[in-house]
Amino acid sequence: MTEIRVPNFAPPTNLPLIAPFWDATAEGRLVLPACSQCGEWQWYPVEGQACHPDATREWRDVAHTGTVFTHTRVERGFLPSGSETPYVLALVELDGVVGPRLVTAIVGEGADTIAIGDRVRLTPTKFATHTLPTFSVVAT
Amino acid sequence: MSVAPRGTAIVGVGETEFKRRSDRTIDDLILEASRAAIADAGLEPGEIDGFIPAVEHPNADQLALALGATRAFTSKPGYVAGAGTVGAVLTARLAIEAGLATNVLVYFGMKGSDEGGPYSYHAEDPAKAGFEMPFGWYGQPVYFAAWAQRYCHDYGVDPDDFASVAVAARAWAALSPGAQKTTPLDTAGYLASPMIATPLRSADCCLISDGGTAYVVTSLERARSLRRPPAVVAGVGVASTNQTLSAIFSQNPDLTMLGSHISAPKAYREAGVGPSDVDFAQIYDCFSISMILQLEELGFAARGEGVAFCQDGRIAPGGAFPVNTNGGHLSYAYIPGMNHVIEAVRQVRGERGDAQLARAEVCAVAGLGGNDHATMIVTADR
Repeated sequence: MTEIRVPNFAPPTNLPLIAPFWDATAEGRLVLPACSQCGEWQWYPVEGQACHPDATREWRDVAHTGTVFTHTRVERGFLPSGSETPYVLALVELDGVVGPRLVTAIVGEGADTIAIGDRVRLTPTKFATHTLPTFSVVAT
Repeated sequence: MSVAPRGTAIVGVGETEFKRRSDRTIDDLILEASRAAIADAGLEPGEIDGFIPAVEHPNADQLALALGATRAFTSKPGYVAGAGTVGAVLTARLAIEAGLATNVLVYFGMKGSDEGGPYSYHAEDPAKAGFEMPFGWYGQPVYFAAWAQRYCHDYGVDPDDFASVAVAARAWAALSPGAQKTTPLDTAGYLASPMIATPLRSADCCLISDGGTAYVVTSLERARSLRRPPAVVAGVGVASTNQTLSAIFSQNPDLTMLGSHISAPKAYREAGVGPSDVDFAQIYDCFSISMILQLEELGFAARGEGVAFCQDGRIAPGGAFPVNTNGGHLSYAYIPGMNHVIEAVRQVRGERGDAQLARAEVCAVAGLGGNDHATMIVTADR
């Protein structure tokens, strides 16, 4: 069986729009941005985006479990570096979060046979530069 | 003040050779394609007075200088590539009907084989750099693979049946002078094609091309006095979905719904035709899946039935509903949308030789650019 890899490609560190997400993953947390006034998710966040003009962007803790919406096993990577193949990607809908989907990579047992509807759990992968919020399949 | 006539036509098309790793500049390629389109129309370069760079680059100043033309009107459509090239005809028409320009040149060239490829612009997007690239979610094949996976799941489609799209494209390319990829492809060859990102194989992905393309738009009245039969722009629809380009590939509530469900009805309404009146189509095929989704949204097949529609050679040479009759982006060349517009014009003018359709009166052209889309109905002058 081919070993499933995980891309190692550090996120930019100088962008306020994305920094809170990566600060949280370093602590083992998962956060998504929402309108501070009405709670509507702002994913992906856009500069100045506001359903309420006086509101701020609030990064809220979200569940560490979810369901696979779609997936692909990448055999030919296009990243400038750090993407040895194969690796398995998925769009995950997190429990209790309606709307946003998280792009993630699937690791561990079952990654190679992932299917739409599979339950997955946060299983971070630590690199020297960042902690990638990867997920693994929850055995049923 | 005179009232400008209504109705516009494409009267000239031009293109360069398409290949990987061209040693020429984009400006140089576009200049050659522009001269070819203007000559095809039977115009002199100095008669061009409107310039529309279909996408961002390059600006019109140097091109106008090189052609010896004076710019009375310059504008960019502002839509993403494949939608911009098809939608540019609307900008041209607005300028012509407003009396701001007489002969409008639409042009686009790219060097897809340059370092970083067609993916590189995505790396400049904060959301993609921040929330996608670190996972390896990068490069169009990955996004469209995830779409295809969901589509096959939702509608019970066997991914192997996408072979019909790639095989038809290659068969058309074999009949098309200038096509970049003409090596024969059958279903077995498709299934042997290397997997890029499941379920998309190499044969499901468009070519990488360096080249230039251009077309000339003028009023229908003037078109009738020029040397070639006019390709009438009977209807145009442009659409932007309520998603940013960053989010469209992963966050759209219905992941496989495109802007063509908005642009196509607009184009049909203006042209006064419906899908059953269309003889053939040129549909943006950056991947086989994107062609299928638009085929459905343009009304040629029901939702989820696009792949079944294409079986048994239906869209291939000799088939009942020809699609991408030069091989499209899968096998002819990848200059987003432009290859489709140019082929539509050549078919309705009846000049396609071995690939000429017996009936080529009404063509639907569909151009996808991420969150944007444009549909154009091109007809013979009836």
